Amino acid sequence: MDPISQATQILNQKILDEANVIMLYLDPHGIISMCNKKIEEMVGKNRRELFGKHWLDILCHDSNVVIKQQMFKAVLDGAIAYKRPNIFEGSIVDCNKKEHIISWNITPMLNESDDLAGLLLLGNDVTLLKEREASLKKIDETLLNILSSIKEYSLYVINLEGNITYYEMGFESMFGWLKSDIIFKHVGLLHTSDDLKHKLPLILEQVRTNGHYELRLSLVKKDGRIFPVILSVNQFLDNEGSIIGYIFIAKDITEENKLEYQIFQSEKMAAVGKLAAGMAHEINNPLFVISGRLQMLLGNKKLPKGLRDDLKIIDNQADRIRNLIDRFLTFARKTSPNEERLDVNKIITNVLPFLSYHKLPSHKIRITKDFAKKLPLIKGDSHQLQEVFINLFINACQAMPEGGRLIIKTVNSGGEFVRISISDTGHGIDPKNLNNLFMPFFSTKSEGTGLGLSICYNIIKNHHGFIEVESQVGKGTTFIIKFPFIKKGE
Amino acid sequence: MPGRILVVDDELPVRDMINDLLKREGFQVKSVATGEEALEAVDNEDFDAVLLDVKLTGISGLETLKKIKTKKPDMVVIMITGFGYDDELVTKSNELGCSGYIGKNSSISQIISCFKALIKDAKEKIK
Repeated sequence: MDPISQATQILNQKILDEANVIMLYLDPHGIISMCNKKIEEMVGKNRRELFGKHWLDILCHDSNVVIKQQMFKAVLDGAIAYKRPNIFEGSIVDCNKKEHIISWNITPMLNESDDLAGLLLLGNDVTLLKEREASLKKIDETLLNILSSIKEYSLYVINLEGNITYYEMGFESMFGWLKSDIIFKHVGLLHTSDDLKHKLPLILEQVRTNGHYELRLSLVKKDGRIFPVILSVNQFLDNEGSIIGYIFIAKDITEENKLEYQIFQSEKMAAVGKLAAGMAHEINNPLFVISGRLQMLLGNKKLPKGLRDDLKIIDNQADRIRNLIDRFLTFARKTSPNEERLDVNKIITNVLPFLSYHKLPSHKIRITKDFAKKLPLIKGDSHQLQEVFINLFINACQAMPEGGRLIIKTVNSGGEFVRISISDTGHGIDPKNLNNLFMPFFSTKSEGTGLGLSICYNIIKNHHGFIEVESQVGKGTTFIIKFPFIKKGE
Repeated sequence: MPGRILVVDDELPVRDMINDLLKREGFQVKSVATGEEALEAVDNEDFDAVLLDVKLTGISGLETLKKIKTKKPDMVVIMITGFGYDDELVTKSNELGCSGYIGKNSSISQIISCFKALIKDAKEKIK
C-alpha cells in the first residue's frame, strides 16, 4: 500500500475509533468485517475476536439460533425493502455483564449492480436516555395518580379562546362532565350566564395583570345545579413566558358554607341571647317594683271595687311580662343538661299524648311513627328533650289547621348520630323566613312569644346536636334533628 | 319573728319597695345602695339578716357576700336577683355561705314567705 493510502486508512480508523457511536460493517450475511473501538470496549473483545462473528452473536444474549435468524432476517428485509436506513432497538450485555440498550441505525450498502454489498450499522447507547425516560414516565404516572386522588379540588385548563383543553383531579365528580363531553368545549358551560358575561372577563383581566386571582363564586354542574366554590385562577405560560391559557383550581365549599352558616347563626344567637339576658335583667327590676307596689295597693281592703279591678288588670299584665322574661331567661341561660341515658323513641312516645292538651285540632291530624328498631341511646336531659319535641309537634299541628299528616321518623343515621325527622303536610315556611326561624322573638304566628324554636335550638346545641329545616310553601315542613349517640365503652 | 333587716340594692325604687314591703310585715329596715356601705353597716350595727342584690355598682353582690361572711360567719345573708334562677349564681352563692336565693321574678307573696322561711331555717341552723 502506498504511504498516502496507508495514512488515509490510519486516519479513517482513527476517525471511526474516536466516534462515540458503535460502528460495524457487516457482509450480506451479517458477519462482522469492520468495527470501531466503541464496540471493542463495550463487549471487552478486540476487533480480531469480533471479525468473522455474526453480529447477532454480540447483540443477542438469547442463545436460540432460530430467534437470532428471524431477527436478522427481519432487520435485513426491512433495510433492503426500503433501501434506506432502518432504525430499531436492541440490547448488548457488556463485559461487566451490564445491559445496554442500543438504538441501531442500519444502512444497506449497495454495489454497482444495486445488490446488497454489506450493511453499515451505527449504534447509539441510549441506556441512560431510556432510564431517564422511564423515570420521567414514573414521575408522570405518580403525578397523575396524585392529581386524580385529589377529589375535593378540580383542576382545569382553558386556552385563550376559552375552551377547556385539560382537566384533572375531582373535575368529573365535581361537575358531572365526562372528558369526551367537555374537552374543547367552552368554559362558559361551568359558569352562570351572568358570571360568564361580567365576572369571567374581569377575572381573566386580573390574572393577565397580576398572574393570579382568587375569589368565591358559584359554578354550574352538568345537571344545572349551582354550587359555591373558591376559585383560584393562574396564568398558563409557555417556555418563553407567554400566556397560552389559564389554569383554574376550584374547591367546592358547599359543606363549609353550611358549617360557617351554622356557626354564624350560633354566634348570632349567643350574642342576641347575652344582650337580651342583660335587658331582661334590667326589665326585671322595674317590674319587681311595679308588681310589688301593686300587690301592696291591692292589700288595702278599703280600696273601691272599680279601682281594685283596674289594679288587678295591671297586675295580670305585669305577671304576663314576668312570665315572658322568665321564659326568655331560660332560653338565654346555658344550662348543662342532666346526663341520663335516653331512648329517643320512648321520649317521643311519652310526649305525643300531651298534644291534646294544647287545644290543637289533633283529631284531624294523622300521626305516623316510623321508629328505628334498635336506636342507640343518647346522653341527655329527658325534660329538656321533651320540651324540644312538644314544641316541634305543636308547631307542626298548628301548621295544619284543616288537618293533615304528622310523620315522625327515627333512624340510626350511620356513624355517630341518631336522626329524628318531624314532617308535616302544612302550609310550609316562606323561604325568606327560614334564616331567622331559630332567632329569639321571631314568630310567624300572631300569638306566641317566638321563643319556642330558639329554646329548642339552645337545648339541642347543649346536647351537642344539630337541627335543620326543609320546607316548601303549600307542601309542608320537615325538621331534622341529630343527637350523638353513646358509643360503646362510654 | 320580725327583726332588723339590711337591704342592699343599687336601685332606689327597689330599695324603697322592699323597705315598705318588709315594714308592712313588721320588720325594721335599713337600706343601702352599695356593697361598701353594706360592709360598713354590718360592722357598726346589728342585723338579723341581710337581703343582698347580686348585681351592685362597685363591689359585686357575691364579693359583698364573701366579705360579710368573713366578718360575721353567722350572719344570715339572702341573695335576691333579677337574673332569675341561675344554676351558676346559686352554686357560687351557696359556696360562699348564703342562706338562700330569691328571684325578683317571683310574686311578692312568694318573696315574703320565702324570705321568712329562709330566716327561720338559718337561725335554727345557727342554734
